[in-house]
Amino acid sequence: MAKERGETIWTALDRKATAIAEFTMRQYRTRISTWVVLGVGFLSISVVLLFYIDAMNTEIEAIDNDGDSFDSDGDGYVDGQEFKLGTDVYNEFSHPGLFNPPVEPEPASMYINEDDYDWDYSDARSYSTGHDDDGDCEDSQLLESQKDTNNDGIPCNILVIYNSLTGEYQIFADYGVDEDPDEDRYGKEAQHRAFVLAIGKLGFVFLLSIFIPLFLATGLIRDEMSSGTMHYMTAKPIARGEIFLYRMLGYLGIVWPYMLVMCLLMAIISGLLGPGDQFFRFSDLGVWFSVLIAALLATLVYGMLFSFLGVLWKYGIILALPIAAWELGMALLSMSVPESTFLRMSIVGWSMSIIDSGALLVWPDMDMFTQAGYWAGGSNEGATFFDISTEALPGHGALEWAQSDLGLGMGPYPTIIVSMMVLIAQAAFFWFIGQLVFKSKEIE
Amino acid sequence: MIPDVSQTGEAVEQQWVPQPKAPVVMLNNVGKTYGRYQALGGVSLALSGGVTGILGLNGAGKSTLFKLLMGKLRATQGEVRLFGTNPWKNPAPYARVGYVPENESLHDWMSAFDFVTTFARLHGLTRDEAKLEAERVLEFVGLTDVMHKKIGRYSKGMRQRAKIAHALVNNPDLIILDEPLQGCDPLARTTIMNVIRELGRMGRTVLLSSHILSEIERITEQIVILHQGRLLALGNVHAIREQLDSIPHTIEIECGDAKALAQDVLNLDSVHGLQFPTSTNLRIFTHHLGEFHKQLPKIVVEKNHDIRKINNPDDDLQTILGYLTGGAN
Repeated sequence: MAKERGETIWTALDRKATAIAEFTMRQYRTRISTWVVLGVGFLSISVVLLFYIDAMNTEIEAIDNDGDSFDSDGDGYVDGQEFKLGTDVYNEFSHPGLFNPPVEPEPASMYINEDDYDWDYSDARSYSTGHDDDGDCEDSQLLESQKDTNNDGIPCNILVIYNSLTGEYQIFADYGVDEDPDEDRYGKEAQHRAFVLAIGKLGFVFLLSIFIPLFLATGLIRDEMSSGTMHYMTAKPIARGEIFLYRMLGYLGIVWPYMLVMCLLMAIISGLLGPGDQFFRFSDLGVWFSVLIAALLATLVYGMLFSFLGVLWKYGIILALPIAAWELGMALLSMSVPESTFLRMSIVGWSMSIIDSGALLVWPDMDMFTQAGYWAGGSNEGATFFDISTEALPGHGALEWAQSDLGLGMGPYPTIIVSMMVLIAQAAFFWFIGQLVFKSKEIE
Repeated sequence: MIPDVSQTGEAVEQQWVPQPKAPVVMLNNVGKTYGRYQALGGVSLALSGGVTGILGLNGAGKSTLFKLLMGKLRATQGEVRLFGTNPWKNPAPYARVGYVPENESLHDWMSAFDFVTTFARLHGLTRDEAKLEAERVLEFVGLTDVMHKKIGRYSKGMRQRAKIAHALVNNPDLIILDEPLQGCDPLARTTIMNVIRELGRMGRTVLLSSHILSEIERITEQIVILHQGRLLALGNVHAIREQLDSIPHTIEIECGDAKALAQDVLNLDSVHGLQFPTSTNLRIFTHHLGEFHKQLPKIVVEKNHDIRKINNPDDDLQTILGYLTGGAN
């Protein structure tokens, strides 16, 4: 060993880092508790996945949103057909069967889901869209002025206006345009997006990213201290802050590949099962990527935090529990009030804004899509308590709940960058105070 | 991977250069208290080179002293210096130190070879260098045959030796061994003693603690006696023995004819009293143990006494401490 010894401890940091990181990873691999924690995480995500698989394989019941499959006057011709051909819907002696030559009655099923959304989803501020699929506007006997009830000068269209004050889209439709959307098509898409967002936010960023560090990171330093094996490591020419950091690297060496595999698994399954004509929903990978980034950073920050708490106090896990509760509150808050300033004092809030940004980039129509679900082909406009037939489309509620706007008042890319920087700064902060406390600890 | 940062010229003020003239270990009026309990009080000591045994009963402050030296504990009073540096503030001197802690816990899930290799890498060795070093030190402590077995399956003596091996990977100038012989079987004891003696011969500074005088005596002559957190005696074990010789001692001899032996030893100046617990046992009281031990063999050989056993019941640490502190104990 012909080398200068004891000159400074700040040499060969990569060797020390890999030694401790490798050591930590091997130590975790030999513990059953590690596999139990990771296995429980996998199981809990899998249970939610089962619900998703079930939802994707269940046909959503079609609803006649505009009520034109009903034969109001009982003459054998449904209202939709009578309306299209100009006979009186409420007079049983006025129907297309009296025409010369008589028209055969059409089955009622033809008037369910007969006019689905065919909107060009773009980030329009004021936009004319929609197409009257079934022709009950364009081909009807209505006057031209009656075909343009939204007064935009174009008959049989839908005017979508973005209200920058409320952040919502207002939908002004001409009579008979896109009035009976396909519940299954909308619902599947909405449920799929809701699942991706909910599992990303609550499953990956909240559940996995808090509970895995809670069990795996709290003991990173503490367990070694209480078992007495920390004596070996601290008797080497290495700063305690380094020990803290390199142990963390070892922990990340276990947790990050796990997160990657879990994310990939979810992305593949939901990409294959998700709605759409294509074989695989490739565009969703962007959202899953943002989920992965958010989860990796969240496990880093929580790891640093819980490891610090473990150093601070032997029963650091007790200190971690109120933090986990706070973070749960923040998680729910970020899903309902994303602009709340409380979220700035959380980890989960910043992580979730990464996912929201990713979702917005992949699904730029998110707001309009959500509003369309609420509008439900016009049948939910001015919905009243007594009118039970008027309700939002299936899947809308779930999507509304899982999706949230960007609370920072910036675009998706700046939001991602700022959130990532904040999370890294949080991790650095917890490392810094963690190693300060560790340095001042006496090891018995 | 982080690049191999040599940091020459960048971190000058952080560089630690061992002070060549500074003693390896220097304690100046060092004290450590836990609340109202004083574990160590006012210990001053400077050591460089040689094997030094720290003797003391359980709770005398031996481990506390070592932990202060290794920067595990912070002194509540006084100065601790390791190669001239405060170890609590700066871990740099550990590049030249090997430490064998007292506690029994080890990383049972790994093999001794992996254990030693891992900790060798913390000295900045590469993976391959570390493996070579690990093989070298494991051979030195005689664990080559079992080095790929899990530490959890080792006997106590093997565990101790694995701990010693891990402390030797950096060719340390100072080796601190906290109770290295505790709980070992006689064979392991002998091996470990040989290892320590060998380290002393190699010119290293070795500090080891024990609560058994005879163990220390077999390894080294230079001893430090700690009692209730205070430094009681320091120096050559023979000098301390000499001091002990001048105070009353009891020697028990089991022999064929106690009365015949009594007649022969009665005339010696060093003997000032006799007792006969049984007909084959003789208890001798002496003022000068060394003198008596010189004369006894001659008498035994000349008069052809049948001696079966000589027992110095006072020759344990407890009694020595009793005399040194002036109490009857």
